[in-house]
Amino acid sequence: MEDLTKVWTWTLDVAGFHLVFNATTIVMTLIIMGLLIAFGWLATRRTGLIPNPFQIVAELFVDSFWNLTKDALDEDMAKTYFPMICSLFMFLLLCNWIGIVPHMEEPTKDLNTPLGLGIMGFFIAHYAGIKTKGFGAYIKEYFEPIFFMMPLNVIGELAKVISISFRLYGNIMGGSIIILVVSHLVYGLIIPPFLYGFFGVFVGTVQAFVFTMLTLVYISVQVK
Amino acid sequence: MLGAGFSVGFAAIGAAIGEGYAAGRANEVLSYRPRLAGEILKTMLVGQAVAETAGIFGLVIAMLLLFGPSSGKPLLTAWAYLGAGLSMGLSAIGCGVGSGLPAGGACMGIGRQPAVAGPITTLMLIGAGVSQSTAIYGFLIALLLLFKQLPEAMTFPGLCGLLGAGLAMGFGAIGPGIGEGIAAENAVYQIARNPENTALMTRTMLVGQAVAESTGIYSLVVALLLIFLK
Repeated sequence: MEDLTKVWTWTLDVAGFHLVFNATTIVMTLIIMGLLIAFGWLATRRTGLIPNPFQIVAELFVDSFWNLTKDALDEDMAKTYFPMICSLFMFLLLCNWIGIVPHMEEPTKDLNTPLGLGIMGFFIAHYAGIKTKGFGAYIKEYFEPIFFMMPLNVIGELAKVISISFRLYGNIMGGSIIILVVSHLVYGLIIPPFLYGFFGVFVGTVQAFVFTMLTLVYISVQVK
Repeated sequence: MLGAGFSVGFAAIGAAIGEGYAAGRANEVLSYRPRLAGEILKTMLVGQAVAETAGIFGLVIAMLLLFGPSSGKPLLTAWAYLGAGLSMGLSAIGCGVGSGLPAGGACMGIGRQPAVAGPITTLMLIGAGVSQSTAIYGFLIALLLLFKQLPEAMTFPGLCGLLGAGLAMGFGAIGPGIGEGIAAENAVYQIARNPENTALMTRTMLVGQAVAESTGIYSLVVALLLIFLK
């Protein structure tokens, strides 16, 4: 059980602040970013009518997420937000899958990653809302249906960030706890690979998709 | 220990009902559309995986309660832990049932209109995800109760406040979870009847769910006030 609470950290003292960095998360995030950049390079290196394997996968991602984004937002708005949505999904997918590789940890297992992405989505959605509706109409929505509902509307908006990030964190963290406990109980025999298949690949994919779709839906609710 | 038991037990009730409902709907559809077995099985499994989130949250809290940090003030921490278990467990009932309903609705929808299976699955995931949000507030309250620095002096209102926070969040989350699940179930089923209106129905579903969730947010506010107010 010590594995659960043991965290590899870097500490840094800057101008009187004692900063603690979660080193595992940072290193794993950098690895994933490197993998994604390598994938992008391989996919676009020699594009042609007869695609190479990487290009096929990339086209699959782009095509399906372009359709989803186009359905949720308008066509010209989808052009602005589609790259963010698609790369968010690819990043989260790789984050959730990387736990299958031995000695690798999911960055999403640390609350900071989903929370950061959730806050990013929150600001993007509200920026999009202000930009399309104008500041007055945006503020006015908080005072509906009656003016004293304003505090609850604000809390409701903030709670969206909590719900979206804790959902991802809780699922990935819960999956890894279950894998740890069950592997310990059966001495690592037979069952763990199937658990990695279910919690790592299956739940990881579903949750990455849910996170991405909810970010998209929050943007589209603000815009309409 | 008692808190851990409550957390897993109640969470299991909700998750099991939700998943059972999805499986029942899938069987119902299979009885008249046996050719779509593969598609429906796939949707059912994805929906059940989402509905299981509640159970997983309950398990995480139970594990933290069993092996987590234990400080030196037994009585006060015991109440806080009981509150954490109740908050997570009760809120997971609503979430489990609520996110099972869209899965059932999606099975019915695909049986009716297999051509729009893609949008149905997407909407099912969104609807189930949103109906889980109250359970996530319960998860948050449970984590706060677990890791909060408790005051040295203990008073009877303080003790009751910790338990009350758990109860408020737990009971408050049952209704919104199920209610949002019903909204999502119907939206998912109705886009099978009229796929052109998917965007409109998604928006209506989300607005309805946001209103249904407001009571859950009230209980979140009350629980936070109970924890942090002196």
